[in-house]
Amino acid sequence: MTAVLIVALLTGAILFGIGVYGALSQTNLVMIMMGVELMLAGAMVNLVAFWRFLHPESYSGQMFVLVVMTVMAVEMAVGFGVAIARFRAIGSVEMEEAEDLKG
Amino acid sequence: MTVAIVLLTLFGSAWLLAVIEGWTVTGRLQPAAPLLSGLAHLGRESIVPRSPDRVFFEAAPVLLLVVAVLGAAVLPLAPDLVIADLGTGALFINAALAYVLVALIMAGWGPNGAYAMIGGWRFLGQLIAYSMLIVMPITAVAMRAESLVNTAIVGSQADLWNIVYQPLGFVLFYIAAMALAFRSPFDLPTAEGELAGGVDAEYTGVRLAVLRLARLTLVVTLAAATTVFYLGGWHGPLLPPWAWSLIKTLAVAVSMLLAGGYLPRIREADLMRWCWTLGIPLALLNIVIVGLLILVVP
Amino acid sequence: MGAQAFFLAVFGLAAIGFGVAVFRTSSMVRSALALLFSQTAVGCMFLVMQTEFLGVLQIMMMATEMSIMAIFMVMFMMDPGGLGGMDMTHQKRFSIGAGVVAAGAAIAVALLADWGPVTVQAPAAAMQTRELGHELLGRSMLIFETAGVTILTAMIAATAVAIPVQRLADNGDKEVSE
Repeated sequence: MTAVLIVALLTGAILFGIGVYGALSQTNLVMIMMGVELMLAGAMVNLVAFWRFLHPESYSGQMFVLVVMTVMAVEMAVGFGVAIARFRAIGSVEMEEAEDLKG
Repeated sequence: MTVAIVLLTLFGSAWLLAVIEGWTVTGRLQPAAPLLSGLAHLGRESIVPRSPDRVFFEAAPVLLLVVAVLGAAVLPLAPDLVIADLGTGALFINAALAYVLVALIMAGWGPNGAYAMIGGWRFLGQLIAYSMLIVMPITAVAMRAESLVNTAIVGSQADLWNIVYQPLGFVLFYIAAMALAFRSPFDLPTAEGELAGGVDAEYTGVRLAVLRLARLTLVVTLAAATTVFYLGGWHGPLLPPWAWSLIKTLAVAVSMLLAGGYLPRIREADLMRWCWTLGIPLALLNIVIVGLLILVVP
Repeated sequence: MGAQAFFLAVFGLAAIGFGVAVFRTSSMVRSALALLFSQTAVGCMFLVMQTEFLGVLQIMMMATEMSIMAIFMVMFMMDPGGLGGMDMTHQKRFSIGAGVVAAGAAIAVALLADWGPVTVQAPAAAMQTRELGHELLGRSMLIFETAGVTILTAMIAATAVAIPVQRLADNGDKEVSE
């Protein structure tokens, strides 16, 4: 019975770990955003598993998933806007060349 | 059994559409022409471009066909003739048809050719234009039916078809469906005279046969969706329900085919501008009007 | 239960496999489309867990979002085809360590905590959509409205940031910086 829950939670955990690796190791803004998307996907898997297997009567769980999906879309939109502005300014979106944004 | 009937109807309609398309182009009615040309494609040499992205190159036509069939799987031909009457059927069609974009990006990037690549990325711009115009009329339709289940949506049109109830939504959905099926005047990805075939350009042999079949099946799926959402599905006086579904689907598909023949191809920038500055406010207006009608009219 | 666990494992492995492929391949479009199929696998996991609306929504949204990510990668990356074979990573050991620690902590919590009784039956799909709608527009109306305003703000902000800056040149004509 709890095996199904454990499978879902393990998947969410591993997706989150891969996302953390991607977000920290990549130098390009777009690739970092991909890592963040993987992290959010892992979180969503956990949320849905908790809703389905532990509390299917309370729909706040599904509400939370909708909010996380909204956050994914919004973060991508603003991130790409910033990437366009940066690319226009210095010609690349590499984070290693972004020292001037620090502090 | 239901699966076999629906799939047979789907591919039979695609074949009929190919025959009619051949009729409008050549002026001769040749029922065997699509089958013979399909077999001829299988016999032709299958050229693979130099250093393609092999995974994308192979997967794109298959994905397009799978998408078209999946979209048709949730559309009912008759009250009991539907492969999978999902609880969120109206939304599932949209989800399946979103992968047309993925298939065309693969078909554009895979062959490692300039024309194909331009065609593929053009379709992304087209998606930005039509995607809101597809979803918002579906929202208005689901509002009237108070359900996302496709059979319930058809059931809600028993006394008045949605094309009369929400004509604005029908026009927007029809235009967006033509843009999704990249049918002229929206055939930017496969611009015949301009991009030398665009995403179709680098495909030969069996893959081209699958791609052509997938395009026709996509048009039939979209025509079936228009029938279910706006034309009352299987409702009609004398004939059995499945016959009415079939007639309406074919009528819509043929009209989509013919409408393109008389209009020039629309430019990408114009398409996006018109859809965003005119189309989306009209779609929102449609939702407001339908909401008021539902609340006010008993 | 057995079938559900099996399909969940299959789609979970697919999601993880595609997720790993995102960072291992050097072709940018392959990376973006691998992320797309990873998210689709996550959507299929939602469908297996019988949350039909969320699953269909995830599948639909991610197809569009990741394709847009693909074109942005082609625009901005130095080597979109991936044939140059450059290594575009930094602080590799630290990030692998951080990833392992994060996944390990989550796995430890998942395995060691006592989750209590697991519900076997889920509500029907149409019922779920209806209840979700009631929840969205009833109890969580404030969240819904805030999300709407946030999306609008994000749209305006992204557009404002992405529009090229217009400067007045010496002779008074507006020139656009490229």
